[in-house]
Amino acid sequence: MDARQRAVGWSIWLAAVLGVSITVSAGIGPVSIHPLAVVKVLLNAVSVPTGIELTGSSIGNALQLPAPAIRWQSPFAYSVDTTYKTIVMRVRLPRILLAAVVGFALAAAGTVMQGFFRNPMADPSIIGVSSGAAAGAVAFLVVPVAVPFGLGLQGAAFIGALLAAFGVYAIATEGGRTPIATLLLAGVAIQAFLGAVIAFLQLHSGDGLRQVVHWLMGHLGNAGWDDVTVTLLTVPVLFGILLAYARDLNVLLLGEEAAHGLGVEVERTKRLLLAVSAVLTAAAVAVSGVIGFVGLIVPHMVRLVVGPDHRVLLPAAALAGASFLVLTDTIARAGATEIPVGIVTAALGAPFFLYLLRSREVHEL
Amino acid sequence: MSEPVLAVDQLSVDLGGSGILSDVSFTADRGELVGLVGPNGAGKTTLLRAIRGSVGATQGRVAVEGNEVSALSARQTGRLVATVPQETRLSFSFSVEEAVAMGRNPHIGRFGTADEEDRQQVQEALADASLSAFADRPVTELSGGERQRVLLARAFAQDTPLLLLDEPTANLDINHAINTLDLVRSVVDEGRAAVAAIHDLNLAARYCDRLVLLTEGSVLEAGVPDSVLTTETLEAAFDARAVVSTDPTTDSPRVTALSDHESADEI
Repeated sequence: MDARQRAVGWSIWLAAVLGVSITVSAGIGPVSIHPLAVVKVLLNAVSVPTGIELTGSSIGNALQLPAPAIRWQSPFAYSVDTTYKTIVMRVRLPRILLAAVVGFALAAAGTVMQGFFRNPMADPSIIGVSSGAAAGAVAFLVVPVAVPFGLGLQGAAFIGALLAAFGVYAIATEGGRTPIATLLLAGVAIQAFLGAVIAFLQLHSGDGLRQVVHWLMGHLGNAGWDDVTVTLLTVPVLFGILLAYARDLNVLLLGEEAAHGLGVEVERTKRLLLAVSAVLTAAAVAVSGVIGFVGLIVPHMVRLVVGPDHRVLLPAAALAGASFLVLTDTIARAGATEIPVGIVTAALGAPFFLYLLRSREVHEL
Repeated sequence: MSEPVLAVDQLSVDLGGSGILSDVSFTADRGELVGLVGPNGAGKTTLLRAIRGSVGATQGRVAVEGNEVSALSARQTGRLVATVPQETRLSFSFSVEEAVAMGRNPHIGRFGTADEEDRQQVQEALADASLSAFADRPVTELSGGERQRVLLARAFAQDTPLLLLDEPTANLDINHAINTLDLVRSVVDEGRAAVAAIHDLNLAARYCDRLVLLTEGSVLEAGVPDSVLTTETLEAAFDARAVVSTDPTTDSPRVTALSDHESADEI
């Protein structure tokens, strides 16, 4: 079957799984809500533009200017308990959607990095993005002077992530060429160095230690609609760019010289893939902290099922990553005391991956 | 049609400050299989890399169908030159058909997908390399000879006027080596040009129309196999005593290297 048909088929299937995961997850919590009620709340929230109308807006008392406004209408009006509506729309849905977008971004970036480095151990943080984000966030939490330009915690983490990734790239690049092995080693070294910085800052974090540890273990608890909106606007665009390079990523698996012979501008493509993956990861890590294993294990699991063709693998892994993080975060918040989602992803993901590894006899990329 | 498919003109290549190739000139025409022979380290692989633009020329030029390779994008080069590498990373579980279809990459736009012509070229390449029955098999499950045919098919699917082969028979047993070169010979006879680095002089003599004998980065001798493979040139190039006779079966020159204590009369 054609790669595009397979990609569309898997995407539809996995999008449906994601839809079910979101619905089920929104019903789980201290107040249990029947999935049907959740569906009603979600449908009530749907509004479609039905037309444009001109409303007269006045500036002062003198000028009357007609301004266009889009008319929205909600096609559904089920009667649901308003408490349920508040719980789903205000409390649970932002967090669930953020989990979905973050999981999507991490799995997509992880898939690209594993193909890019031709290394099964590669994950989104391999070029120092996560360490950079963590260093930025911890510095923000611990060092009071690190608050220039009115940047929030997310801003500090995002900038730290990009600085680290750019540093690794700059160190590994010589004469316009970036050998992959050098990049890998530079990434490991920078991660180790930033690890030292983070540990040092933690020692001096005093009362902030709890907050620091919480951030470092990955969390989605403070999610608000602002975070969701920002990531929902950036992640799909970046993902689209990666998807456009899926075929080049396949060809790059053959090695750089072969890829050049097959029409791929190797250095330019590598630069672009690195930059987009780094920003994608940074956007995710900035809002959620360091959530491990999603970007490492989900691409492997999906590759075992759909095969190595990135045109199919990339969208499938991204959607599977979204469902995976939605479900693990549901577990993280379902218990009596909430635990950081990073613990759940690692605790569940690693054994499941080991099971796949043993049962499918697959040991390579 | 006076212009050859490949024209290498006074090409010199330096890598890391030392000269690898100096003043190499030769051409390859449609329907012609040109063999690059010479001792290890003579610059055969570098010459192939320079022809496909992977390494830049210090001096001189390489033109494929009149286009100077150094001025072309990777995509444009990929439509003119296909390479069969000595070995490749085929250790990913792509199917044979997917691996061969990668040869169409230079022909498909960034946002495009394979069209009818792409699919047809892939099917023809699979058939030419006798791989149609293997189309759905993962490349990781193939034998060495079958993998070599996948690489050939990928290059065929690329549908280029010029084909480069780097030691295509180096890792193959004699049966697969002959099959591989027969296959190359047949696509060349259909109107492509090919340049192959081959270390087995007897195979080179048997399958190539012309040979270019490289030593220390320069052309020592070039021409039809009979004129290139002589006791004198072999002594100069390989520093080895050898006897050149005519193979009674294939009628092509046969090179027999002598050890130090053998004399030509004993052969």
